Amino acid sequence: MEIYLPVAEMSVYWLVMIGLGLGVGFLSGMFGVGGGFLMTPLLVFSGIPSTVAVATTLSHVTASSMSGALAQWRKGAIDFTMAGVMVAGGLVGTVLGVWLFALMRRQGQMDLIVSLTYVIMLGSIGTIMLRESLTTLKAYRSGVAPSSRPVNHVWIHRLPLKMRFRQSRLYISVIPPIALGFFVGALGAIMGIGGGFIIVPAMIYLLRMPTNVVMGTSLVQIIALTAVTTVLQATSNHSVDIVLALLLVIGGVVGAQLGVRAGSKLRGEQLRLLLAVVVLSVCLGLLWGLVANPRDVYSLTLGAP
Amino acid sequence: MKRALFGLLVSMGLGVTGMAGAARAEDLVSGISQDIIEITSNYTGTDIVVFGAIERAEKAEGRAIAVVVRGPNTLLTVRRRDRVAGIWVNRDSAKFDGMPSYYYLASTEPVDRIAPPRVLTRHGVGIEHLQPGAVGSHHDARPFREAALRHLQEDGLYKEAPGTIDFLSETLFRTRVPVPAAVARGQYNVEVYLFRDGEVVSAQSTPLFIDQTGIERRLFNLANNAPLAYGLICVFMAMLLGWISSVLFRRPA
Repeated sequence: MEIYLPVAEMSVYWLVMIGLGLGVGFLSGMFGVGGGFLMTPLLVFSGIPSTVAVATTLSHVTASSMSGALAQWRKGAIDFTMAGVMVAGGLVGTVLGVWLFALMRRQGQMDLIVSLTYVIMLGSIGTIMLRESLTTLKAYRSGVAPSSRPVNHVWIHRLPLKMRFRQSRLYISVIPPIALGFFVGALGAIMGIGGGFIIVPAMIYLLRMPTNVVMGTSLVQIIALTAVTTVLQATSNHSVDIVLALLLVIGGVVGAQLGVRAGSKLRGEQLRLLLAVVVLSVCLGLLWGLVANPRDVYSLTLGAP
Repeated sequence: MKRALFGLLVSMGLGVTGMAGAARAEDLVSGISQDIIEITSNYTGTDIVVFGAIERAEKAEGRAIAVVVRGPNTLLTVRRRDRVAGIWVNRDSAKFDGMPSYYYLASTEPVDRIAPPRVLTRHGVGIEHLQPGAVGSHHDARPFREAALRHLQEDGLYKEAPGTIDFLSETLFRTRVPVPAAVARGQYNVEVYLFRDGEVVSAQSTPLFIDQTGIERRLFNLANNAPLAYGLICVFMAMLLGWISSVLFRRPA
């Protein structure tokens, strides 16, 4: 059955949208990421205008992250100080990202920039994860325990403005987390993602946070950023569709819970290997769309540019 | 619809008596089955029926009827992609202002047999004869215009349907106009033209309103008039559902 979306101004099959939320939610629960990087391209593929897709996906990410964060919070696995510092940087980045988003929309390059950013981000993250997980798996096979904490980055420890993060057992400069938050915030506004698939590896490999607090802390910062970005997109671009958001969220929160259960049955490296495959296939699909000959070189936009 | 048709016939009768002394030219009256289309949550497109009657009808030969439905005017932006360093990038563009966002033509004859191009262009009858109010382009706009018309027809927003006007009697006719799901909201115009030997001898225009209603309308208004509250509601909804799910699925300790 179809339902009319008041902001997208089109009808969609509501069961398909709930299913989409469920599927992406399942993957996000399984891998501990928001799933925005999958949701936005899938929505665009189903005919939702990309501006609405980017802005509405954020609600889906907020909801499934909320669901996951509460579970982590009960375990006490959240470093609120770190999340707060990252959110501070993230807010500035978000404002910049929403502004860039509006600018690109006027220039008619919105779809290109979104696709290009996706291809670059997903391509590099996917490749890194694939290599890392394959190396770890191979190491397990040959019986050699992999070194869990490789050499620290010396330059990070030379930066000023050091601060103590008790939950993470770290005493580091606030500059890297702020910069990371800023970067992910800007990217999130442009791509409609929470940025979990960037933050999680960065927290582990760059900030050297203990793995057990990484998930919860990144979820808290994702909730804060997606919430703020949703409000900014709603006020500056009027592109959040609440009916679509509701459908995605309902599917998403259920899927996320099921995904968490499925994920707990797999080992970390196996999960990362699977996620790397998913990320790389989305990347290749988008790359194909950019490179392949279009069916029609002309495209048409109705209404205000 | 029956009641509307009855009303039309009554008013026709009155019209004829009232105009008894006027010049005895061929004329027409027309009406539509509904003048408001409300978009609700289960709206997936609908049909309207346009009907009319020819008064003081002369011979059928040399006569043509055209029913035109025009959506609110909009700006069309056409972009052409070119390959730059291996990827396809939007480069040149052209803008056409004052084009209808929806256009449907039902006629008794194929468009080029109704009237000469001069007449068709003046009245905007036929997709090829639509003239934009303003054109903005740095290049030859013709390929862009053709591309725009092609896209609009592929999307079902522009359509010509010759031979779809049914005659119920010698002078009474009707046609069914589809209104697809993805149409702009606003005021539409339903125009009925009577051609005789390539000239318009009578024309009538009736407004048709398409708008969201009920909860859809309230949500749309909220999104545009109170975007801050709207955004906060979205966030609150997402957080609430996230919390509910985590409570529902909580494993018994």
